[in-house]
Amino acid sequence: MSVTVLGHGALAELLRSEVQCETPSTVIVVGVDGAVVVESLLDLTDEMIDVIYEQPMQQVIINLQEAHERGSHRIVVVVPTTGMSGGAGLVAQSALAESARVLVKSAARQWGQAGITVNAVAVEPHWFDIDPDVSGPVSIAPRSLVGQVSPVGVVSWLCSQTSGDITGQTIVCDGGLWM
Amino acid sequence: MSELRLKNRVAIVTGAGQGVGEGIARRLAQAGATVVVAARRAETGEPVVESIRSAGGLAVCIVTDVSVSRSVDECVEQTVQQFGRLDIMVHNAFMGGIPHKLEQAQIDKHWTSMSRTGVWASLFCARAAMPYLISSSARPAGQGGGRLILITSPSGIEGSANIPLYSPAKAAQRAITKSLAREWGQHGVTVNCIGPVAGSPALLRAFGRNPALQSAIEARTPLGRVGDITQDIGSVALFLSSDDSSFVTGQTIICDGGSFLGL
Repeated sequence: MSVTVLGHGALAELLRSEVQCETPSTVIVVGVDGAVVVESLLDLTDEMIDVIYEQPMQQVIINLQEAHERGSHRIVVVVPTTGMSGGAGLVAQSALAESARVLVKSAARQWGQAGITVNAVAVEPHWFDIDPDVSGPVSIAPRSLVGQVSPVGVVSWLCSQTSGDITGQTIVCDGGLWM
Repeated sequence: MSELRLKNRVAIVTGAGQGVGEGIARRLAQAGATVVVAARRAETGEPVVESIRSAGGLAVCIVTDVSVSRSVDECVEQTVQQFGRLDIMVHNAFMGGIPHKLEQAQIDKHWTSMSRTGVWASLFCARAAMPYLISSSARPAGQGGGRLILITSPSGIEGSANIPLYSPAKAAQRAITKSLAREWGQHGVTVNCIGPVAGSPALLRAFGRNPALQSAIEARTPLGRVGDITQDIGSVALFLSSDDSSFVTGQTIICDGGSFLGL
């Protein structure tokens, strides 16, 4: 196993147990905490900005640097689609998700010449404890695919040798909810 | 002063002592708004105020450090005390942007100032202005309309090879815009972003350091030039501030002459 999965929670555990490949890879599950809902921006304190946004974002930067230092050829950053869609009551979490997702593009631009690919996978918000009844619908239509949607397949592929021509991209793996 | 679409409206523009913020402040004042030039230093803010006044506009300078929440709160409180309302909050101020290699980047040196002035300050400005923007939208049609405008960058969408940590700070502003658009829509307050490429002092300094950069940008821009801070960028801010944009929210308008076509 040459995959290192960084992060906490059920999604990180799933990826840690299921993703396998031969290419040295690092998967970073961003520390978006959707369980903390701030219904009014007036209630978002400076301390909460630090805990919900700043500290996890600094961790993303550090994790990317660690991935580079340990010689990963494939780096995959996993975020909820909430960064792209926005989410009511989740302004700091959405900022974190989008910051991490776009940092992927900067990293891809800098590290491409070294043969390192850096991509993002955007997954259904529930993986980050985000309640769509609170954050608002991300689509006027129901999810296209029914049943459980797992990001294991797409993360495994992005960690594999065969995805070597793909970098700086975001693959949305949510069963067709956010289009 | 031929078009006074913002007559009786009050706007705060952060970072208005120079560059894009100055251009937006001038354009909003031309449209009749009373403009608070929120600048970190009076030495840059006051000349902009004088210039606006000499052109027949209304403006004051309030020294504001957007990276400090209390300073932003005080700016908003002074504005409302002096003018009785706040309709438009434009957060443009930003500090940072030292070229770096991502693997060697240091949090304190390469990230903190951009995070504080880009991400944190966007939240500070939104939080402080929120009650007044909602009040503005509660006024009769044509007499108000709360507007929050954040100044992002095309790099917040496409990443940056030269300043990689600039991009996440700017990307966060787009997400904040979308989230607050969802939250504040029920109050009639709109929240939008502008992604400019304009002849700001920062860009002009970059051109000075690297003349090839200017020709490269102009070559990839269909309109063949960088934007004017007042007429090109300020006019987009005017549209988003006015009643004409009352059904536009959660959006990013890239104002760069067509250089970035990736949306």
